[in-house]
Amino acid sequence: MTVLTRRAGKAAAEQRPPAPKRHSGERIWAFAFASPYLLHLVALAAWPLLASLFFSMTDYDLVSEPRFVGFGNFTRMFGDDVFWRTLGNTAYFAVLFVPTQTALALGLAIALNQRLRGMALFRAAYFVPVVSSWVVVAYVADAVFNPQTGLANQVLDFFGLPAENWLQDPALVIPTLAAVAVWKGVGYMMVLFLAGLQAIPEERYEAAKIDGASAWNRFRYITLPGISGTTFLVLVLTSIETLQSFEQVFVMTDGGPHGASELTVLHLYRQGFQFFQMGYASAIAWVLFVLVLALTLVQFRLQRRWVHYA
Amino acid sequence: MRARKLAAAAAAVLTVAVTASCGGAADDSGAVTLRLGFYAAAGDAADTTMRELVKEFTAANPSIKVQLEVAPYVKFFEKLRTQIAGGQAPQVWLSDGVLVQEFAARGALADLSDRVKTVNADDYSGIELNRDAKGRIYGFPQGAQTPVLFYNKKLFADAKVDAPTADWTYDDLAAAAKKLTKDTNGDGKPDTYGFRAYSPGFTESWWPIIKAFGGDIVTDENRKVVIDSPQSKAALDWMLGAMGKDGFAPDYAYTQGLGKGVVHTLFATSRVAMSYGIYARTLPAVSAGVDFGVAPMPKGPAGRGNVAIVNSWVVSKAASAAQADAAWKWITFFSGEGPQSKWAELGEAIPINKKAASAALPADRREAFLDSLDAATDLGANAVWSEYTEALAKRVDEGLSGTSPVDTALATGQKEAQEVIDRFYAGQTQ
Repeated sequence: MTVLTRRAGKAAAEQRPPAPKRHSGERIWAFAFASPYLLHLVALAAWPLLASLFFSMTDYDLVSEPRFVGFGNFTRMFGDDVFWRTLGNTAYFAVLFVPTQTALALGLAIALNQRLRGMALFRAAYFVPVVSSWVVVAYVADAVFNPQTGLANQVLDFFGLPAENWLQDPALVIPTLAAVAVWKGVGYMMVLFLAGLQAIPEERYEAAKIDGASAWNRFRYITLPGISGTTFLVLVLTSIETLQSFEQVFVMTDGGPHGASELTVLHLYRQGFQFFQMGYASAIAWVLFVLVLALTLVQFRLQRRWVHYA
Repeated sequence: MRARKLAAAAAAVLTVAVTASCGGAADDSGAVTLRLGFYAAAGDAADTTMRELVKEFTAANPSIKVQLEVAPYVKFFEKLRTQIAGGQAPQVWLSDGVLVQEFAARGALADLSDRVKTVNADDYSGIELNRDAKGRIYGFPQGAQTPVLFYNKKLFADAKVDAPTADWTYDDLAAAAKKLTKDTNGDGKPDTYGFRAYSPGFTESWWPIIKAFGGDIVTDENRKVVIDSPQSKAALDWMLGAMGKDGFAPDYAYTQGLGKGVVHTLFATSRVAMSYGIYARTLPAVSAGVDFGVAPMPKGPAGRGNVAIVNSWVVSKAASAAQADAAWKWITFFSGEGPQSKWAELGEAIPINKKAASAALPADRREAFLDSLDAATDLGANAVWSEYTEALAKRVDEGLSGTSPVDTALATGQKEAQEVIDRFYAGQTQ
């Protein structure tokens, strides 16, 4: 049997057309066609990355020649109270934002995953803030959180509670920013969850119903495992987005009051583009990159325990 | 095969074209091309006036071609820094006065000291405010700003309070402000306050008040932070009293929340009867139709604490000799009586040409602003002004918001701001 198979294989190989000869000219054409992409990759991704790695080890003020300082910028960062405070602010923002947005997006997706008339309109309504700029969102947020005229304090007043300085109180500013960020971003994550929910075969729910499974058990044992891949994607995307947050605080609070909402990327921006310390800013960027990478790797590692790819 | 060759050739040509377009085209006409940068919102009246003045300048100097580079303030300086890094900065640009030394200390600016000697310094205001610790001048004034006391005439008349005079002290200000503070709807909160004490922009708030009370912010060529003093504490305590127990000024949270731009609407909308304001604050008050006057800032134990910012034209160190000459021609043209008077029509800055200032400023505001400008010191400008003032402002704000005691805020602010300055100047020869 083995001999026959080998012979048959040999015969088949003999019948196969000869492998085309690779001309060196074709290779050149291949590179010529790929050259726009390769140039883009080198000029706009690889080169800036390497340059920023180099700058992170220099004292570079954007004007004079960079002066090599080894790990001096990284050493300085460890003793920079402002850097640690911004990292703490970012972590606090992430702890509030990531679970809230994920849970809310899932809840909305389940609520809007119905075959009812007008449902597309509701889905679109939740998606509108996603496509709005932060400047527009800042105006909306002011209408809600303005200490004098905002809706939030009117609601508190209605219940006889004292007014709050939402964006001016160091203790409240991060939770308020997180709430606004959830409002802006939840629509996008909701769409991802909707796609995940609609990919779960209807038969599973029918079978579970026939077996007498309750609504909670159907959610616990069919829906959650069914969308675990989507949940994982949402968590990874949201975590990365949080650590890179900049525009919102830049527009809404500029890091205030007295630095209570200064996130790490805003600190980085100021060092590089306002204080002429591009070397130090590059070092912060690399530390942030390593943190994002580490967090993502941890999430990938943990996902083996709870993500089910059907 | 032929089609493939053509396509490959097209791809290569496209790539080369895209790459080539990243470079700059050379001007071989022989004329000097001057790239001129300034900050203004698109379509803003300042933008229009500047373009008209450039047209006038190029008509009188046909060998100079001017390319304008305009962007709103934040974007302009953000772009400028990357342009400087890439060796692509404009040859002449309008710099915020407090940033001149930041650019100069990093070698981005041409030293204008010799050129400044060719003009009659007595004809212009603010030249000395740009002189650095070594006596060099890197910027020539374009327009000046200095805070004075704005007051609402109608609110004063309604409350039967006499208008501020040049003899007013901080006690007089407080006494008048208390009378001007009114709760008209009876909800227990004032609807009109006598004075706006705090502003997120310290030029019109704690900086001059601390100086008036005898404190100072930086000394020794602006390299030593000295804000932690009993006089500074007295100044901040006065402000805390105004916003707290005396209740004649809106509190910290309210004014801070409005932001640097919007806080000035408090005066323009008659929610405060008095406010410190630079010349540019006349614009919103005039547009809102407020009947207002200006007076010198009140006297504190150590004077009025006048400060000024002189926005200035600067010339790139990378400019060629011909471009630097053309840039200086532009600067002297802009400083002339005609262009300065035209610029003054915008009402946003005090003309630095003294003749233009005397003629163009409204008679009832002229004296207060010009006297204040004459008496003003600079705003502590040095190579790290943005960074050290931010470190300082954060801590002063903590003191004024009640987040930390004033003593602690001043001590911490002084320490942190000094660290910023020391870090830069350690090992610097400039």
